[in-house]
Amino acid sequence: MTELWQVLTDHFPEFVSGFWVTVRIVAISFVIAMVVGTIVAALRIAPLKPLNWVGGVFVEVFRDTPLLVLLFISFAGLRRAGLDVSAWVAGTASLGLYTSAYVAEALRSGVFAVERGQIEASLSLGLDYPRTMRYVILPQAARTVIPHLGSLTIAMIKNSAVVGPSLLALPDLLYQARLINSRTFATTEVFFWAGVGFLILTLLATVAVRRLEARYAIHR
Amino acid sequence: MSTRLWRTLLALALAVAALAVAACGDDDDDDGGGNGGGGDQAADVKQFPADTTMGKIQERGEITIGVKYDVPPFGFENPQTGEVEGFDVEMGRIVAEELGVEPKFVEAISDNRIPFLQRGTVDLILSTMTINQERDLEIEFSEPYYIARGRILVPQDSDIRGIEDLAGKRVCTALGSTYEETIREEAPEADLQLVDTYSECLELLQNGAIDAISTDDVILTGMIIQDDTLKMVGDELTVEPYGAGIKEGDKEFQRFVSDTLEAAQEDGRWEDIYQEWVGQYVPQDQQPPDMTLQEALALG
Repeated sequence: MTELWQVLTDHFPEFVSGFWVTVRIVAISFVIAMVVGTIVAALRIAPLKPLNWVGGVFVEVFRDTPLLVLLFISFAGLRRAGLDVSAWVAGTASLGLYTSAYVAEALRSGVFAVERGQIEASLSLGLDYPRTMRYVILPQAARTVIPHLGSLTIAMIKNSAVVGPSLLALPDLLYQARLINSRTFATTEVFFWAGVGFLILTLLATVAVRRLEARYAIHR
Repeated sequence: MSTRLWRTLLALALAVAALAVAACGDDDDDDGGGNGGGGDQAADVKQFPADTTMGKIQERGEITIGVKYDVPPFGFENPQTGEVEGFDVEMGRIVAEELGVEPKFVEAISDNRIPFLQRGTVDLILSTMTINQERDLEIEFSEPYYIARGRILVPQDSDIRGIEDLAGKRVCTALGSTYEETIREEAPEADLQLVDTYSECLELLQNGAIDAISTDDVILTGMIIQDDTLKMVGDELTVEPYGAGIKEGDKEFQRFVSDTLEAAQEDGRWEDIYQEWVGQYVPQDQQPPDMTLQEALALG
Protein backbone atom coordinates (compact mmCIF):
# COMPACT_ATOMS: atom_id res chain seq x y z
CA MET A 1 0.00 0.00 0.00
CA THR A 2 2.78 2.40 0.88
CA GLU A 3 4.48 1.53 -2.40
CA LEU A 4 1.31 2.43 -4.27
CA TRP A 5 1.44 5.99 -2.92
CA GLN A 6 5.16 6.21 -3.24
CA VAL A 7 5.08 5.47 -6.97
CA LEU A 8 2.62 8.34 -7.40
CA THR A 9 4.48 10.85 -5.24
CA ASP A 10 7.91 9.95 -6.66
CA HIS A 11 6.78 10.25 -10.26
CA PHE A 12 3.99 12.81 -9.99
CA PRO A 13 5.48 15.28 -12.52
CA GLU A 14 5.79 12.54 -15.17
CA PHE A 15 2.26 11.29 -14.57
CA VAL A 16 0.89 14.84 -14.80
CA SER A 17 2.82 15.71 -17.97
CA GLY A 18 1.66 12.44 -19.55
CA PHE A 19 -1.91 13.17 -18.48
CA TRP A 20 -1.87 16.56 -20.23
CA VAL A 21 -0.43 15.10 -23.41
CA THR A 22 -3.27 12.54 -23.37
CA VAL A 23 -5.77 15.37 -22.82
CA ARG A 24 -4.34 17.25 -25.81
CA ILE A 25 -4.38 14.17 -28.06
CA VAL A 26 -7.96 13.42 -27.04
CA ALA A 27 -9.14 17.04 -27.45
CA ILE A 28 -7.65 17.50 -30.94
CA SER A 29 -8.81 14.06 -32.10
CA PHE A 30 -12.30 14.75 -30.74
CA VAL A 31 -12.63 17.91 -32.82
CA ILE A 32 -11.36 16.11 -35.94
CA ALA A 33 -13.69 13.15 -35.30
CA MET A 34 -16.80 15.30 -34.86
CA VAL A 35 -16.15 17.69 -37.77
CA VAL A 36 -15.09 15.03 -40.26
CA GLY A 37 -17.73 12.59 -38.97
CA THR A 38 -20.48 15.14 -39.60
CA ILE A 39 -19.23 15.92 -43.10
CA VAL A 40 -18.96 12.23 -43.98
CA ALA A 41 -22.43 11.52 -42.59
CA ALA A 42 -23.80 14.35 -44.75
CA LEU A 43 -22.04 12.84 -47.80
CA ARG A 44 -23.51 9.43 -47.07
CA ILE A 45 -27.10 10.70 -46.95
CA ALA A 46 -26.79 13.39 -49.64
CA PRO A 47 -29.26 12.97 -52.54
CA LEU A 48 -26.42 12.34 -54.98
CA LYS A 49 -25.02 8.84 -55.59
CA PRO A 50 -21.31 9.74 -56.14
CA LEU A 51 -21.27 11.60 -52.82
CA ASN A 52 -22.82 8.60 -51.03
CA TRP A 53 -20.14 6.48 -52.56
CA VAL A 54 -17.28 8.74 -51.40
CA GLY A 55 -18.68 8.77 -47.87
CA GLY A 56 -19.09 5.00 -47.93
CA VAL A 57 -15.49 4.40 -49.01
CA PHE A 58 -14.23 6.75 -46.32
CA VAL A 59 -16.17 4.93 -43.61
CA GLU A 60 -15.05 1.49 -44.74
CA VAL A 61 -11.39 2.49 -45.05
CA PHE A 62 -11.11 4.08 -41.63
CA ARG A 63 -13.48 1.81 -39.74
CA ASP A 64 -12.09 -1.45 -41.10
CA THR A 65 -8.39 -0.67 -40.47
CA PRO A 66 -6.87 -1.28 -37.05
CA LEU A 67 -5.85 1.97 -35.37
CA LEU A 68 -2.26 0.80 -34.95
CA VAL A 69 -2.02 0.12 -38.69
CA LEU A 70 -3.32 3.62 -39.42
CA LEU A 71 -0.69 5.04 -37.07
CA PHE A 72 2.12 3.16 -38.80
CA ILE A 73 0.90 4.06 -42.29
CA SER A 74 0.31 7.72 -41.47
CA PHE A 75 3.68 8.18 -39.80
CA ALA A 76 6.20 5.78 -41.35
CA GLY A 77 4.41 5.49 -44.70
CA LEU A 78 3.75 9.16 -45.37
CA ARG A 79 7.23 10.14 -44.21
CA ARG A 80 8.74 7.59 -46.59
CA ALA A 81 6.59 9.09 -49.32
CA GLY A 82 8.35 12.39 -48.61
CA LEU A 83 5.65 14.13 -46.54
CA ASP A 84 7.08 15.72 -43.42
CA VAL A 85 4.27 14.72 -41.03
CA SER A 86 5.04 15.11 -37.35
CA ALA A 87 4.16 12.52 -34.71
CA TRP A 88 1.46 14.88 -33.39
CA VAL A 89 -0.20 15.28 -36.78
CA ALA A 90 -0.02 11.56 -37.53
CA GLY A 91 -1.30 10.60 -34.08
CA THR A 92 -4.23 12.98 -33.81
CA ALA A 93 -5.23 12.58 -37.46
CA SER A 94 -5.20 8.78 -37.19
CA LEU A 95 -7.22 8.70 -33.97
CA GLY A 96 -9.54 11.46 -35.19
CA LEU A 97 -10.25 9.94 -38.61
CA TYR A 98 -10.58 6.44 -37.16
CA THR A 99 -13.21 7.70 -34.73
CA SER A 100 -14.87 9.90 -37.35
CA ALA A 101 -15.87 6.82 -39.34
CA TYR A 102 -17.87 5.59 -36.34
CA VAL A 103 -19.25 9.07 -35.70
CA ALA A 104 -20.44 9.25 -39.32
CA GLU A 105 -22.25 5.93 -38.98
CA ALA A 106 -23.83 7.00 -35.70
CA LEU A 107 -25.06 10.27 -37.22
CA ARG A 108 -26.36 8.50 -40.32
CA SER A 109 -28.43 6.14 -38.23
CA GLY A 110 -29.65 9.16 -36.27
CA VAL A 111 -30.77 10.87 -39.45
CA PHE A 112 -32.67 7.80 -40.56
CA ALA A 113 -34.40 7.85 -37.20
CA VAL A 114 -35.92 11.23 -38.11
CA GLU A 115 -39.25 10.73 -39.83
CA ARG A 116 -39.23 11.03 -43.59
CA GLY A 117 -42.15 13.44 -43.44
CA GLN A 118 -39.93 16.02 -41.78
CA ILE A 119 -37.64 16.18 -44.81
CA GLU A 120 -40.56 16.37 -47.18
CA ALA A 121 -42.17 19.11 -45.11
CA SER A 122 -38.96 21.08 -44.94
CA LEU A 123 -38.27 20.79 -48.68
CA SER A 124 -41.85 21.74 -49.52
CA LEU A 125 -41.50 24.83 -47.33
CA GLY A 126 -38.78 25.98 -49.71
CA LEU A 127 -35.67 25.16 -47.66
CA ASP A 128 -32.89 23.74 -49.81
CA TYR A 129 -31.10 20.48 -48.96
CA PRO A 130 -28.17 21.93 -46.90
CA ARG A 131 -30.59 24.09 -44.88
CA THR A 132 -32.97 21.19 -44.34
CA MET A 133 -30.03 19.24 -42.97
CA ARG A 134 -28.73 22.05 -40.81
CA TYR A 135 -31.96 23.36 -39.30
CA VAL A 136 -34.34 20.41 -39.36
CA ILE A 137 -32.70 17.02 -39.58
CA LEU A 138 -29.33 17.30 -37.81
CA PRO A 139 -30.65 18.93 -34.61
CA GLN A 140 -33.14 16.09 -34.23
CA ALA A 141 -30.63 13.45 -35.26
CA ALA A 142 -28.08 14.81 -32.79
CA ARG A 143 -30.53 14.29 -29.94
CA THR A 144 -30.96 10.59 -30.65
CA VAL A 145 -27.25 10.00 -31.18
CA ILE A 146 -25.88 11.77 -28.08
CA PRO A 147 -25.63 8.53 -26.04
CA HIS A 148 -23.96 6.78 -28.96
CA LEU A 149 -21.50 9.64 -29.49
CA GLY A 150 -20.76 9.53 -25.78
CA SER A 151 -19.75 5.87 -26.01
CA LEU A 152 -17.60 6.65 -29.06
CA THR A 153 -15.85 9.47 -27.18
CA ILE A 154 -15.09 7.19 -24.25
CA ALA A 155 -13.79 4.54 -26.66
CA MET A 156 -11.62 7.22 -28.28
CA ILE A 157 -10.14 8.26 -24.92
CA LYS A 158 -9.15 4.66 -24.30
CA ASN A 159 -7.90 4.20 -27.88
CA SER A 160 -5.62 7.21 -27.37
CA ALA A 161 -3.50 4.88 -25.22
CA VAL A 162 -2.44 3.13 -28.42
CA VAL A 163 -1.05 6.35 -29.91
CA GLY A 164 1.71 7.32 -27.46
CA PRO A 165 3.60 4.08 -26.95
CA SER A 166 3.58 3.20 -30.66
CA LEU A 167 6.18 4.14 -33.24
CA LEU A 168 5.17 7.77 -32.69
CA ALA A 169 6.64 7.98 -29.16
CA LEU A 170 4.28 10.76 -28.07
CA PRO A 171 4.84 11.18 -24.32
CA ASP A 172 1.23 10.52 -23.27
CA LEU A 173 0.02 8.98 -20.03
CA LEU A 174 0.66 5.39 -21.05
CA TYR A 175 4.06 6.21 -22.54
CA GLN A 176 5.10 7.91 -19.28
CA ALA A 177 3.71 4.98 -17.30
CA ARG A 178 5.81 2.54 -19.29
CA LEU A 179 8.85 4.78 -18.84
CA ILE A 180 8.34 4.88 -15.07
CA ASN A 181 7.75 1.13 -15.10
CA SER A 182 11.01 0.51 -16.92
CA ARG A 183 12.84 2.29 -14.09
CA THR A 184 10.89 1.12 -11.04
CA PHE A 185 9.56 -2.28 -12.23
CA ALA A 186 6.53 -1.52 -10.02
CA THR A 187 4.21 -2.68 -12.80
CA THR A 188 0.99 -3.04 -10.81
CA GLU A 189 1.36 0.30 -9.05
CA VAL A 190 2.39 2.26 -12.14
CA PHE A 191 -0.43 0.98 -14.32
CA PHE A 192 -2.92 1.39 -11.50
CA TRP A 193 -2.22 5.13 -11.58
CA ALA A 194 -2.26 5.22 -15.37
CA GLY A 195 -5.69 3.56 -15.15
CA VAL A 196 -6.82 6.21 -12.66
CA GLY A 197 -5.69 8.90 -15.12
CA PHE A 198 -7.76 7.42 -17.93
CA LEU A 199 -10.69 6.91 -15.55
CA ILE A 200 -10.66 10.63 -14.69
CA LEU A 201 -11.02 11.46 -18.40
CA THR A 202 -13.66 8.83 -19.17
CA LEU A 203 -15.71 9.78 -16.10
CA LEU A 204 -15.60 13.44 -17.13
CA ALA A 205 -16.79 12.41 -20.59
CA THR A 206 -19.59 10.34 -19.05
CA VAL A 207 -20.76 13.29 -16.93
CA ALA A 208 -20.66 15.60 -19.97
CA VAL A 209 -22.76 13.15 -22.00
CA ARG A 210 -25.31 12.80 -19.18
CA ARG A 211 -25.68 16.57 -19.04
CA LEU A 212 -26.13 16.88 -22.78
CA GLU A 213 -28.67 14.10 -22.74
CA ALA A 214 -30.64 15.80 -19.96
CA ARG A 215 -30.47 19.15 -21.75
CA TYR A 216 -31.71 17.90 -25.11
CA ALA A 217 -34.10 15.29 -23.82
CA ILE A 218 -37.56 15.42 -25.30
CA HIS A 219 -40.11 15.93 -22.57
CA ARG A 220 -43.12 13.96 -23.59
CA MET B 1 -38.87 -21.70 -6.44
CA SER B 2 -37.79 -22.46 -9.94
CA THR B 3 -35.07 -19.76 -9.90
CA ARG B 4 -33.60 -21.36 -6.81
CA LEU B 5 -33.61 -24.71 -8.57
CA TRP B 6 -31.86 -23.15 -11.54
CA ARG B 7 -29.22 -21.59 -9.33
CA THR B 8 -28.50 -24.93 -7.68
CA LEU B 9 -28.23 -26.60 -11.05
CA LEU B 10 -25.95 -23.85 -12.35
CA ALA B 11 -23.69 -24.12 -9.30
CA LEU B 12 -23.54 -27.88 -9.78
CA ALA B 13 -22.73 -27.51 -13.46
CA LEU B 14 -19.93 -25.06 -12.68
CA ALA B 15 -18.51 -27.35 -10.02
CA VAL B 16 -18.51 -30.28 -12.44
CA ALA B 17 -16.87 -28.15 -15.11
CA ALA B 18 -14.20 -26.99 -12.67
CA LEU B 19 -13.49 -30.58 -11.65
CA ALA B 20 -13.26 -31.64 -15.26
CA VAL B 21 -10.79 -28.84 -16.03
CA ALA B 22 -8.72 -29.69 -12.96
CA ALA B 23 -8.66 -33.37 -13.94
CA CYS B 24 -7.57 -32.54 -17.49
CA GLY B 25 -4.84 -30.31 -16.05
CA ASP B 26 -3.51 -33.22 -14.01
CA ASP B 27 -3.53 -35.46 -17.03
CA ASP B 28 -1.52 -32.94 -19.01
CA ASP B 29 1.04 -32.62 -16.25
CA ASP B 30 1.49 -36.38 -16.06
CA ASP B 31 1.94 -36.66 -19.80
CA GLY B 32 4.45 -33.80 -19.85
CA GLY B 33 6.45 -35.34 -17.03
CA GLY B 34 6.40 -38.77 -18.63
CA ASN B 35 7.62 -37.51 -21.99
CA GLY B 36 10.27 -35.36 -20.37
CA GLY B 37 11.55 -38.30 -18.33
CA GLY B 38 11.70 -40.50 -21.40
CA GLY B 39 13.69 -37.91 -23.32
CA ASP B 40 16.15 -37.43 -20.48
CA GLN B 41 17.06 -41.07 -20.21
CA ALA B 42 18.11 -41.16 -23.84
CA ALA B 43 20.53 -38.25 -23.53
CA ASP B 44 23.77 -38.51 -21.63
CA VAL B 45 23.28 -35.63 -19.20
CA LYS B 46 23.48 -35.04 -15.49
CA GLN B 47 20.17 -35.46 -13.67
CA PHE B 48 19.35 -32.73 -11.16
CA PRO B 49 17.23 -33.11 -7.98
CA ALA B 50 13.54 -32.53 -8.69
CA ASP B 51 13.28 -29.56 -6.32
CA THR B 52 15.84 -27.47 -8.23
CA THR B 53 14.98 -25.31 -11.22
CA MET B 54 17.25 -27.50 -13.33
CA GLY B 55 15.37 -30.62 -12.18
CA LYS B 56 12.00 -29.01 -12.89
CA ILE B 57 13.11 -28.03 -16.40
CA GLN B 58 14.37 -31.58 -17.01
CA GLU B 59 11.03 -32.98 -15.87
CA ARG B 60 9.25 -30.65 -18.28
CA GLY B 61 11.71 -31.62 -21.03
CA GLU B 62 11.75 -28.03 -22.25
CA ILE B 63 13.37 -24.73 -21.27
CA THR B 64 11.66 -21.47 -22.21
CA ILE B 65 14.16 -18.79 -23.16
CA GLY B 66 13.32 -15.15 -23.89
CA VAL B 67 15.40 -13.67 -26.72
CA LYS B 68 15.15 -10.67 -29.02
CA TYR B 69 13.45 -11.28 -32.37
CA ASP B 70 14.60 -8.13 -34.11
CA VAL B 71 18.23 -7.66 -33.09
CA PRO B 72 20.56 -9.21 -35.64
CA PRO B 73 23.02 -10.73 -35.07
CA PHE B 74 22.02 -11.62 -31.47
CA GLY B 75 18.42 -12.71 -31.75
CA PHE B 76 16.43 -12.38 -34.94
CA GLU B 77 13.96 -14.24 -37.06
CA ASN B 78 15.45 -15.75 -40.19
CA PRO B 79 13.06 -14.62 -42.94
CA GLN B 80 13.69 -17.85 -44.91
CA THR B 81 13.04 -20.37 -42.16
CA GLY B 82 10.96 -18.33 -39.72
CA GLU B 83 13.23 -19.62 -36.94
CA VAL B 84 14.93 -17.32 -34.47
CA GLU B 85 18.73 -17.29 -34.76
CA GLY B 86 21.77 -15.48 -33.45
CA PHE B 87 24.45 -15.32 -30.77
CA ASP B 88 22.01 -15.22 -27.84
CA VAL B 89 20.02 -18.09 -29.34
CA GLU B 90 23.19 -20.20 -29.55
CA MET B 91 23.99 -19.41 -25.90
CA GLY B 92 20.48 -20.59 -25.06
CA ARG B 93 21.03 -23.84 -26.97
CA ILE B 94 24.18 -24.50 -24.92
CA VAL B 95 22.20 -24.20 -21.68
CA ALA B 96 19.42 -26.43 -23.03
CA GLU B 97 21.97 -29.00 -24.20
CA GLU B 98 23.61 -29.11 -20.78
CA LEU B 99 20.20 -29.96 -19.30
CA GLY B 100 19.35 -32.41 -22.08
CA VAL B 101 16.12 -30.57 -22.91
CA GLU B 102 14.60 -28.82 -25.92
CA PRO B 103 14.98 -25.03 -26.03
CA LYS B 104 11.77 -23.09 -26.67
CA PHE B 105 12.43 -19.50 -27.71
CA VAL B 106 9.93 -16.69 -27.12
CA GLU B 107 10.23 -13.01 -27.95
CA ALA B 108 11.26 -10.79 -25.05
CA ILE B 109 11.51 -7.06 -25.75
CA SER B 110 13.51 -4.72 -23.48
CA ASP B 111 10.36 -3.55 -21.75
CA ASN B 112 8.83 -6.94 -20.83
CA ARG B 113 11.74 -9.28 -20.23
CA ILE B 114 12.04 -8.65 -16.47
CA PRO B 115 8.29 -9.13 -15.85
CA PHE B 116 8.57 -12.33 -17.94
CA LEU B 117 11.13 -13.70 -15.48
CA GLN B 118 9.20 -12.54 -12.45
CA ARG B 119 5.97 -14.14 -13.64
CA GLY B 120 7.72 -17.33 -14.69
CA THR B 121 6.75 -16.89 -18.36
CA VAL B 122 10.36 -17.75 -19.20
CA ASP B 123 13.07 -19.69 -17.36
CA LEU B 124 15.93 -17.68 -18.76
CA ILE B 125 16.50 -14.39 -20.55
CA LEU B 126 19.23 -14.04 -23.17
CA SER B 127 18.29 -10.81 -24.90
CA THR B 128 21.26 -8.44 -25.20
CA MET B 129 20.62 -7.47 -21.57
CA THR B 130 23.23 -5.27 -19.91
CA ILE B 131 24.09 -6.11 -16.31
CA ASN B 132 23.31 -3.17 -14.02
CA GLN B 133 22.50 -2.61 -10.36
CA GLU B 134 18.94 -1.42 -10.96
CA ARG B 135 18.03 -4.67 -12.71
CA ASP B 136 20.08 -6.72 -10.25
CA LEU B 137 17.57 -5.77 -7.56
CA GLU B 138 14.80 -7.43 -9.58
CA ILE B 139 16.51 -10.48 -11.08
CA GLU B 140 19.69 -12.56 -10.84
CA PHE B 141 22.39 -12.12 -13.47
CA SER B 142 24.80 -14.76 -14.73
CA GLU B 143 28.47 -13.92 -15.12
CA PRO B 144 28.94 -11.70 -18.22
CA TYR B 145 28.88 -13.77 -21.43
CA TYR B 146 29.55 -10.93 -23.86
CA ILE B 147 30.78 -7.35 -23.71
CA ALA B 148 29.21 -4.81 -26.02
CA ARG B 149 30.05 -1.14 -26.30
CA GLY B 150 27.67 1.78 -26.67
CA ARG B 151 27.86 3.79 -29.87
CA ILE B 152 25.79 6.19 -31.98
CA LEU B 153 24.38 5.39 -35.42
CA VAL B 154 23.65 8.15 -37.94
CA PRO B 155 23.08 8.49 -41.70
CA GLN B 156 26.28 8.81 -43.78
CA ASP B 157 25.66 12.53 -44.45
CA SER B 158 24.92 13.46 -40.83
CA ASP B 159 26.94 16.19 -39.10
CA ILE B 160 26.76 14.34 -35.77
CA ARG B 161 30.29 13.20 -34.82
CA GLY B 162 29.72 12.06 -31.26
CA ILE B 163 27.59 12.38 -28.16
CA GLU B 164 28.54 16.05 -27.79
CA ASP B 165 26.63 16.84 -31.00
CA LEU B 166 23.35 15.32 -29.83
CA ALA B 167 21.99 18.50 -28.17
CA GLY B 168 18.69 19.40 -29.81
CA LYS B 169 18.78 16.26 -31.97
CA ARG B 170 16.15 13.51 -31.90
CA VAL B 171 17.76 10.34 -30.58
CA CYS B 172 16.02 6.98 -30.55
CA THR B 173 16.57 4.05 -28.23
CA ALA B 174 14.43 1.26 -26.79
CA LEU B 175 12.14 1.95 -23.88
CA GLY B 176 13.59 0.27 -20.80
CA SER B 177 17.13 0.00 -22.19
CA THR B 178 20.20 1.34 -20.37
CA TYR B 179 20.69 4.00 -23.07
CA GLU B 180 17.66 5.87 -21.83
CA GLU B 181 19.69 6.75 -18.71
CA THR B 182 22.98 7.16 -20.57
CA ILE B 183 21.56 9.70 -23.04
CA ARG B 184 19.69 11.57 -20.31
CA GLU B 185 22.93 11.97 -18.36
CA GLU B 186 25.48 12.44 -21.14
CA ALA B 187 23.35 14.47 -23.54
CA PRO B 188 20.58 16.07 -21.46
CA GLU B 189 19.70 18.45 -24.32
CA ALA B 190 18.91 15.61 -26.71
CA ASP B 191 15.27 14.97 -27.60
CA LEU B 192 14.86 11.33 -26.57
CA GLN B 193 12.41 9.18 -28.57
CA LEU B 194 11.66 5.87 -26.87
CA VAL B 195 10.02 3.03 -28.78
CA ASP B 196 9.46 -0.69 -28.19
CA THR B 197 12.02 -2.23 -30.50
CA TYR B 198 15.20 -1.25 -32.32
CA SER B 199 13.60 -2.10 -35.65
CA GLU B 200 11.24 0.83 -34.98
CA CYS B 201 14.26 3.07 -34.30
CA LEU B 202 15.71 1.97 -37.63
CA GLU B 203 12.45 2.76 -39.45
CA LEU B 204 12.40 6.23 -37.85
CA LEU B 205 16.03 6.90 -38.81
CA GLN B 206 15.42 5.76 -42.38
CA ASN B 207 12.33 7.91 -42.81
CA GLY B 208 13.99 10.93 -41.25
CA ALA B 209 11.82 11.26 -38.16
CA ILE B 210 14.89 11.02 -35.92
CA ASP B 211 18.56 11.99 -36.27
CA ALA B 212 20.42 9.21 -34.47
CA ILE B 213 20.10 5.86 -32.71
CA SER B 214 22.12 5.03 -29.64
CA THR B 215 22.60 1.50 -28.41
CA ASP B 216 25.10 -1.38 -28.32
CA ASP B 217 27.58 -1.63 -31.19
CA VAL B 218 26.44 -5.16 -32.02
CA ILE B 219 22.86 -4.03 -32.58
CA LEU B 220 24.02 -1.06 -34.64
CA THR B 221 26.25 -3.39 -36.67
CA GLY B 222 23.16 -5.44 -37.47
CA MET B 223 21.47 -2.28 -38.76
CA ILE B 224 24.44 -1.39 -40.97
CA ILE B 225 24.30 -4.93 -42.42
CA GLN B 226 20.72 -4.14 -43.44
CA ASP B 227 21.31 -0.56 -44.59
CA ASP B 228 24.81 0.56 -45.63
CA THR B 229 23.84 4.24 -45.86
CA LEU B 230 24.28 4.37 -42.09
CA LYS B 231 27.48 4.71 -40.06
CA MET B 232 28.65 4.49 -36.44
CA VAL B 233 30.25 7.59 -34.93
CA GLY B 234 31.89 8.76 -31.73
CA ASP B 235 33.91 7.11 -28.99
CA GLU B 236 32.48 4.25 -27.02
CA LEU B 237 29.87 5.74 -24.70
CA THR B 238 29.59 2.85 -22.34
CA VAL B 239 30.78 -0.68 -21.69
CA GLU B 240 27.81 -3.03 -21.69
CA PRO B 241 28.45 -6.47 -20.21
CA TYR B 242 25.63 -8.79 -21.23
CA GLY B 243 24.33 -11.25 -18.66
CA ALA B 244 21.71 -13.97 -18.74
CA GLY B 245 18.66 -13.11 -16.63
CA ILE B 246 17.36 -15.55 -14.02
CA LYS B 247 14.47 -15.23 -11.59
CA GLU B 248 15.37 -13.31 -8.42
CA GLY B 249 16.61 -15.55 -5.61
CA ASP B 250 17.30 -18.63 -7.73
CA LYS B 251 21.03 -18.76 -6.94
CA GLU B 252 21.37 -22.44 -7.86
CA PHE B 253 20.12 -21.89 -11.40
CA GLN B 254 22.19 -18.72 -11.68
CA ARG B 255 25.33 -20.71 -10.77
CA PHE B 256 24.39 -23.44 -13.24
CA VAL B 257 23.88 -20.99 -16.13
CA SER B 258 27.12 -19.13 -15.29
CA ASP B 259 29.13 -22.35 -15.14
CA THR B 260 27.60 -23.65 -18.37
CA LEU B 261 28.34 -20.45 -20.31
CA GLU B 262 31.80 -20.21 -18.80
CA ALA B 263 32.62 -23.76 -19.87
CA ALA B 264 31.62 -22.80 -23.42
CA GLN B 265 34.02 -19.84 -23.26
CA GLU B 266 36.87 -22.11 -22.22
CA ASP B 267 36.42 -24.99 -24.68
CA GLY B 268 36.15 -22.87 -27.83
CA ARG B 269 32.40 -23.13 -28.47
CA TRP B 270 32.00 -19.45 -27.56
CA GLU B 271 34.57 -18.36 -30.14
CA ASP B 272 33.00 -20.45 -32.90
CA ILE B 273 29.63 -18.88 -32.21
CA TYR B 274 31.19 -15.42 -31.98
CA GLN B 275 32.87 -15.81 -35.37
CA GLU B 276 29.69 -17.06 -37.01
CA TRP B 277 27.37 -14.33 -35.75
CA VAL B 278 29.47 -11.28 -34.85
CA GLY B 279 33.16 -11.63 -35.78
CA GLN B 280 32.65 -11.57 -39.52
CA TYR B 281 30.84 -8.20 -39.38
CA VAL B 282 33.07 -6.19 -37.04
CA PRO B 283 36.62 -5.00 -37.69
CA GLN B 284 38.09 -5.95 -34.31
CA ASP B 285 38.20 -9.43 -32.83
CA GLN B 286 36.91 -10.08 -29.36
CA GLN B 287 37.97 -12.58 -26.72
CA PRO B 288 35.47 -14.12 -24.31
CA PRO B 289 34.76 -11.59 -21.56
CA ASP B 290 37.20 -11.70 -18.63
CA MET B 291 34.98 -9.43 -16.54
CA THR B 292 33.26 -10.87 -13.47
CA LEU B 293 29.67 -10.20 -12.43
CA GLN B 294 30.95 -8.08 -9.53
CA GLU B 295 33.01 -5.91 -11.89
CA ALA B 296 30.07 -5.60 -14.26
CA LEU B 297 27.79 -4.45 -11.45
CA ALA B 298 30.40 -1.95 -10.29
CA LEU B 299 30.11 -0.22 -13.70
CA GLY B 300 26.69 1.04 -12.75
